[in-house]
Amino acid sequence: MRLEAEMDAPRPLSILAELTYRCNLQCPYCYNPLDLQSYRSELPVDVWTRVIDEAAALGVLQAHFSGGEPTLRADDLVNLIESARKRDLYSNLITQGTFLSDELIARLEAAGLDHVQLSLQASHAGLADSIAGARVHEKKIDALRRVAKSGMAVTLNCVLHRANIDDVEAIIAIAEETGVRRVELANVQFYGWALVNRGALMPAREQVERAAAAVASARTRLAGRIEIDHVLADYYERFPKPCMDGWGRKFMTVAPDGRVFPCPAAPAIKTMQFENVLDRSLADIWRSSSSFNAYRGTEWMPQPCKSCDRREVDWGGCRCQAFLLAGDAALTDPACSLSPMHALVERAVAVENGEPEWVPRKMKSAG
Amino acid sequence: MSAVDPVPVRLARGVRFRRLPDGNGVLLVPEGVVNLSESAAAIAELIDGERSSSDIAAALSQTFDAPQATIESDVDELLARFAGNTWLDDAARG
Repeated sequence: MRLEAEMDAPRPLSILAELTYRCNLQCPYCYNPLDLQSYRSELPVDVWTRVIDEAAALGVLQAHFSGGEPTLRADDLVNLIESARKRDLYSNLITQGTFLSDELIARLEAAGLDHVQLSLQASHAGLADSIAGARVHEKKIDALRRVAKSGMAVTLNCVLHRANIDDVEAIIAIAEETGVRRVELANVQFYGWALVNRGALMPAREQVERAAAAVASARTRLAGRIEIDHVLADYYERFPKPCMDGWGRKFMTVAPDGRVFPCPAAPAIKTMQFENVLDRSLADIWRSSSSFNAYRGTEWMPQPCKSCDRREVDWGGCRCQAFLLAGDAALTDPACSLSPMHALVERAVAVENGEPEWVPRKMKSAG
Repeated sequence: MSAVDPVPVRLARGVRFRRLPDGNGVLLVPEGVVNLSESAAAIAELIDGERSSSDIAAALSQTFDAPQATIESDVDELLARFAGNTWLDDAARG
């Protein structure tokens, strides 16, 4: 017999499986934690298979395979996609595409992969390669073309920041030219490496507005042919993003070492302990762990959230951002214009943009 | 799309319909999970790459004992919304 609190726990829809934090690129906006070397110990494939089975039993409908670069564990990845398929889960591969050989594409497709999200750093090699820290852009364009040609569903993803946000029309043009049906343009979110590099990555407000206008006009022109998902920058908006659609409501992330997070950025909350699938079942962690229950629902909320009409729209914004900016994960997200700490965000927008240098993501010597 | 459109309707690659154990229908798409209303689920469930929109309406009018013309406009409206989200396969629709 289960405890009442357990029965009240909402059902997760989606799991993010971060197979490894290893990556051959050095993007300065990576949301991965700064202490990458402490995740060197990676779950073996049989534990991952158990995690997928447990997720399906919990009611999860979609499995997103990510990292780091998940195709660095290509054999395990193919196995796990097969497991997901057997459990009738929708599978999504989030990759930067530099290891997508024709052979791997064929294996992924045969395993039942539903969707590939492939990221570019910019529209042209000069800029893209300087962001990635490696000469990979042409290879990635070639991979994008081959995945699109395979017939598998593919989304072209690009994280937008000060150096590339003026490039949105050219990025959308690549989708048209390669036969891609979906584009996701996501303004950089300031976690992990991106927070370290915030000054260099923060776009000017005029850039954000120009990009929004360019996307709106492309959407009209391409309606019914290419779907464009534009994730706006919370620093520039009135209300915060409803992070994860609420803490512990729909999503969970399993890190390479087996720790389970309510949000991929949650390891930043240094005051919180996270459970590991090596010690407890996924269902147990989802229902009963102190981390997942900490900010579930609306009971935990401070003012102004508690009495706000938007409390079940925004869910207080992002817990990780509240911790990172205001030092307490239980505060209103400072990105909200109603937060007493909102000046922290306004100041960052007004003052920081234009710092010239960023620190490349590296496995060692972080932070 | 006309009511006598003979072109088969098919979901795009990367889009799947699933009936959950609780009876609700969902559309699994690249951007997430779309919870379908009962009537939208009844329509989505019949999209199989063989039926045309009027075949789907005909099947539903038998199940629900309603005039096919009424159902056809619902089917066409839903399919237009799916198409607008690039959830339908163009090739099958010609």
